[in-house]
Amino acid sequence: MKTCLVVDDSKMIRRVAGRILKDLDFEASEAENGVEAMAACKSRMPDAILLDWNMPIMDGLSFLKALRKSPGGTSPVVVFCSAERDIDKIMEAMDAGANEYVMKPFDSDIIESKFAEAGIL
Amino acid sequence: MSAALSLKPSYYEALRRLTLEMAGVSLGKDHHFVVETRLSALSRREGFDSLADMVEELFSRGQTRLAVNVVSALLERERRFFDDKNSFAQLTDFVLPRLLTGYGGAPLRFLVFGCGSGQDAYSLAMTIDKLEAQMPDLETEIVAVDYPSWALDRASEGQYTHFEVQRGLPIRDLATYFTRNGEDWIINDDLRRRVGVKEFHLLSNTESLGRFHVILFRNALGHYSAPAQVRLLRNLAPITLPHGYLMLGKDDKLSRMNFGYDAVEGHAGLLKKHDDPKIEIDPYEGRKRPTERTSFKDL
Repeated sequence: MKTCLVVDDSKMIRRVAGRILKDLDFEASEAENGVEAMAACKSRMPDAILLDWNMPIMDGLSFLKALRKSPGGTSPVVVFCSAERDIDKIMEAMDAGANEYVMKPFDSDIIESKFAEAGIL
Repeated sequence: MSAALSLKPSYYEALRRLTLEMAGVSLGKDHHFVVETRLSALSRREGFDSLADMVEELFSRGQTRLAVNVVSALLERERRFFDDKNSFAQLTDFVLPRLLTGYGGAPLRFLVFGCGSGQDAYSLAMTIDKLEAQMPDLETEIVAVDYPSWALDRASEGQYTHFEVQRGLPIRDLATYFTRNGEDWIINDDLRRRVGVKEFHLLSNTESLGRFHVILFRNALGHYSAPAQVRLLRNLAPITLPHGYLMLGKDDKLSRMNFGYDAVEGHAGLLKKHDDPKIEIDPYEGRKRPTERTSFKDL
């Protein structure tokens, strides 16, 4: 079973995304911010990461840049998931190494479509 | 049927007959909920107080414009950008390279038949736009046709919701080809101008559309009655250029007749037009032929 780390400071988003990912046959784990996510990745690199942008302590973009420089950090598929809809900001995330981008709000169909686009389904 | 539904059974049957007669599409006998949902939305857009009022008006006065709008609403189905990636891969990896071999500079013409809200047509336009980056001399024309409807108006405008642009459309394509417009996203003018959206009765004579190198009519054939399927394919065959392609859905099948096409081995749903169409047997020989309709004015 593939693994996916859901990184979001909202408990509700983590739960909803976790349920959707479970339906897509992922084993989902959670982190509240970039620092927690980095620790989780060092312990066990997931196959995919669903990543919020605006979070306390370490935001999604900083985490992504650090992840891609870390050992094994180029392997996970990273799908950003943020309320940010500004095209320049979205492209900044893509240029930093994201594989796809989900604009909140989302539903299960969107997550499935974006994970398929990113080649993880 | 749920007690919450308001449409009388007699009206549901009348709507089924209307859809079959006008568009050749058989609605299921148990699609009351879908019918009510779609027509309730239409009745609000048309300014009626209720769905019942709209249906009363439709069947008591027999308004052609309202009948077309009702049938169009009933035929709407959810569309996605790049729906069925394999089909678009077929287009880029198989069809286009063959059409471009010996390309002489005349425009390649594409028809999206039954385009609905336009996602197939704009997905095709994006695909071709990327190809043109490698072949700057390539000239193409995309024509997208369907019954007049709210969905077709949206295809003309090229405007899609937050949810629609996230189904099938890679984020880099969204960034390249769309601009945010409030909560929605709108196709950039350059791409929108590539697609000519036209109102067209899909069962009518297709000659006025001209001839095409590729016709996309995907995942729709199965919704039509058997006589309507024959009529559609007989209308599409003469406007497919020799060695051109008809792209159906992967599960769409031709019946016993080939209509001048050959199935392309290893490519589900893809048909290639014969150089010299085979003689067909008239499916209506000795039987009543469906009413010929060439425009909405005749309805």
